[in-house]
Amino acid sequence: MSRERVVTIVPEAGLHARPASAFVKAVTDHDAEVSAGPPDGDLVQAGSMIAVTSLGAGQGDDLRLVAEGPDAEAVLDELERILTTPEEELDA
Amino acid sequence: MTDAIEADDIDELIPASHISLTEPPAEKEACIEYLLDLLVEAGRVEDRETALAALLERESETTTGVGMGIGIPHAKTDAVSRPSLAFARSEDGVDFGSMDGEPATLIFMILVPASGSEDHLKILSSLSRGLMHEEVRDDLHAAEDEAAVQDALREAIA
Repeated sequence: MSRERVVTIVPEAGLHARPASAFVKAVTDHDAEVSAGPPDGDLVQAGSMIAVTSLGAGQGDDLRLVAEGPDAEAVLDELERILTTPEEELDA
Repeated sequence: MTDAIEADDIDELIPASHISLTEPPAEKEACIEYLLDLLVEAGRVEDRETALAALLERESETTTGVGMGIGIPHAKTDAVSRPSLAFARSEDGVDFGSMDGEPATLIFMILVPASGSEDHLKILSSLSRGLMHEEVRDDLHAAEDEAAVQDALREAIA
């Protein structure tokens, strides 16, 4: 089961600091292989903090997420929630 | 997504005086101060306490231990007037509390002026992209002098 979606990043810090650690933790907490990257570029392993940091994804950037595995849909829902929640409202 | 930094930027970002090849303190906060002092002694930091507070504040949000044995403490602060990078390496490893549990053996510090928000992500992402390659990490561990560290970094971000 493979699922994908494109999400626009809301937190001011981008995919960085708390949003990034919540993002990586959500990936590792689910039974799914997830990759992430620009809509028209190479994807990296979303469960690796250094890989996620390497994307340099800022506020307003679109991020493509591809998930495969039993939790594919659930993990994408959670990642979308993290990416669209302003940093000060993020409780992770 | 942000543009990459270029190989030519290395001399300006991280001159030899920002590089330590001796063992840093084993404890994270002391290690952060050790790296900060490289930049202070090089004349890059106008206000050490302000810079340290910004670094520790960022660290309290979530660790800058990004895994694969790498720590990148960083902050945006007006204690610096231009982007600055420092490097130290540890044989013993420093516990950065990273998600993969690996102690940090390659430790970088990034300080950028508070207004330079683009620089911040740009340096962080370029550095991370390079450090994902095992040969870059091996070169940094094997470097025998500051120039070899700079060469490895030029390769890393090329």
